[in-house]
Amino acid sequence: MRELLNTLPIYIALIAALLNLVRRQWSLNLIALVLQFIFITPSLLNLFPIQIALIQPFTGIMVSLMLYLTLNQVGGVEAIKLNRSLTPGEIFRAMAGIFLLTIVFFFLDDFQKAVFPTVPLEYLYLSFGLMLTGIMQLGTIREPLYLAIGLLTFLSGFQLLYSALEFSYLLEALFAAVNLLLGMVGSFFIVKNAESRPE
Amino acid sequence: MNNTVLLFVALPIALGLLLILLERWQRFSAFLAVLIPLSLSGLALIFSQSLNVSFLGQFLVLEDSLSVFGRSIQIGANQLGMVALLYFVCFLWNLPVKFFDYNHWFKSLSLIISGFWVLVQFINPFLYSALVVELIVLISVPLLSPRGAPAKAGIMRYLTMQTLALPLVLLSGWMVAGIETSPSAQALVSRGAFLVLTGFMLWAGVFPLHSWLPMLSEESQPWSHSFLLVITQVSLTFFFLHFLNQYPWLRNLEQLGLVLKWMGSLSIVAAGGLAAFQTNLKRISSYIYMAEAGYIILTFAYLPQGGLDIITMSLLPRIFGLWSLNFAISYLSKNIASEKMELEDLNGIIYRFPRTSGLLIISFLNIIGMPLFSLFPSKRILWGIVTADNLVFQVLGILGFLGFMIVILRTLNIMIKKPEHGEQEKVEKPIMILPIALIILIMVLAGTIPQLFSAPIQNILLSFNNLFL
Repeated sequence: MRELLNTLPIYIALIAALLNLVRRQWSLNLIALVLQFIFITPSLLNLFPIQIALIQPFTGIMVSLMLYLTLNQVGGVEAIKLNRSLTPGEIFRAMAGIFLLTIVFFFLDDFQKAVFPTVPLEYLYLSFGLMLTGIMQLGTIREPLYLAIGLLTFLSGFQLLYSALEFSYLLEALFAAVNLLLGMVGSFFIVKNAESRPE
Repeated sequence: MNNTVLLFVALPIALGLLLILLERWQRFSAFLAVLIPLSLSGLALIFSQSLNVSFLGQFLVLEDSLSVFGRSIQIGANQLGMVALLYFVCFLWNLPVKFFDYNHWFKSLSLIISGFWVLVQFINPFLYSALVVELIVLISVPLLSPRGAPAKAGIMRYLTMQTLALPLVLLSGWMVAGIETSPSAQALVSRGAFLVLTGFMLWAGVFPLHSWLPMLSEESQPWSHSFLLVITQVSLTFFFLHFLNQYPWLRNLEQLGLVLKWMGSLSIVAAGGLAAFQTNLKRISSYIYMAEAGYIILTFAYLPQGGLDIITMSLLPRIFGLWSLNFAISYLSKNIASEKMELEDLNGIIYRFPRTSGLLIISFLNIIGMPLFSLFPSKRILWGIVTADNLVFQVLGILGFLGFMIVILRTLNIMIKKPEHGEQEKVEKPIMILPIALIILIMVLAGTIPQLFSAPIQNILLSFNNLFL
């Protein structure tokens, strides 16, 4: 039971990242992004005191809120359509994402022993899962919102990994600043695109 | 403000933010955007002799470090030459800004970005600078992607590539921490070096990780874009030297020299080869930047043979060369109302803008290192060393050079073609003769008396004391 409670948030965070990779519905993507940031908190709590562990999720939620408000401003938020069937592109991205996460799952044990022996395996799985999903997202998009989401996912995975290797308040502050600026850049792109759209 | 960090990092960033508020007073903010970096550059030069300076009977003493979140940022007197140069770049790009179409964020963001690049050089532990570089990349987005047009593929690729460099550089430092005490860790050292070099290649747009460079230059305004590229190139040069100075595992890596030689010469040949087939002037200018990055890397490979002196010697001429080239491109872009700057748009332009067209061609010749011009002395010394070392790299360099010669001839050919329709009368303001003549004079003087440009900054790299051993 304890193990399940430890690993469940990791899988939920990764499923949220996969959902962002697969689906292209802005409202759904922002909810998934918030979930992703919320469910990395238990993993962080295993390594850091609560006041430190909450920095990353809190920043992530702030950024998601920033993106939501911008989308709302430009009229981009629509009701979520859960029953919409998957397009071939979405099926491809889902298969590729699952394949990637499976490969990471099977090879991570050896990789951890060789390169990151001090980082817990589940934690490493979460961080690499997020990084790779983020990279895949960056490779398969054209819309600025998904660029922001892809970069946020990639950076949150890397931030998880690096804070387990080396902790510093300055580093955390810089990561928080990068995440917030990334949110602003995402918002800037959304507004730009909305402004240049023909009426 | 009795601290170098507050004076040269915090103050410019704060003033940059203030300039955003003063944007509605265009002339005043433009004046400040010139005055502030010039003053900072001057102050940095004054304090580079000593942090204790006597002025009008007052004795000024600057502290050299500041603690932030338990880590320190330190700027000593012998490092202020680099600070002076970075603010001088900011000054140079703000000086003629009213001649061109420029992004309305330029004045404030150029100052903020310069402040952050100074921070990159002096943060401790310096690997954290990778995150500051990421901040700069994000801050620069409004400069590169002007409002009114949707975000295009170039800016997205730029953001992606620059962000991918961040983990590579950060992890390399962690991976080889304490390696000096473990001589048997050759595999780990090679892995660390691979990560660092790949990170730098992504940041600087070095072949084959350069694809964002021409795409981005095509979509953005040439003046803002060139500022970012030049200040990035200068800062990354210092930053890489910092890496080499700080990390003996990287400096003493046997294969590093060879890898750098290949990286540099492949960048030069690829830039020349790709530029030769371009039909867009803005893309061509980005390949020139790429070739110059190649020359810098090639110089890194020859540090034991006097590479540091070549870097010092080429710093100002390269900055000035890229400045003058982009001056001509930006001026023409505004006055022929061509945002894209296709070569076809330059048809017969020599009849309408004879002086600026001349400046464009001369700037091309200057930047590729033709005799008489400012980059010739440093490139001649470099090619002398390369020829004595390995002919393969020299052949690659010659091919790159030939590529750019083709570009120059093609551009000239289009410029002198008489247009079938349209006017051929001069529309260039006669006053332009003054700045253009001055620019060309400086280029020629720096080419014939190279000490003119290298003497003021001859001590700029002295703080990298391990590289002089």
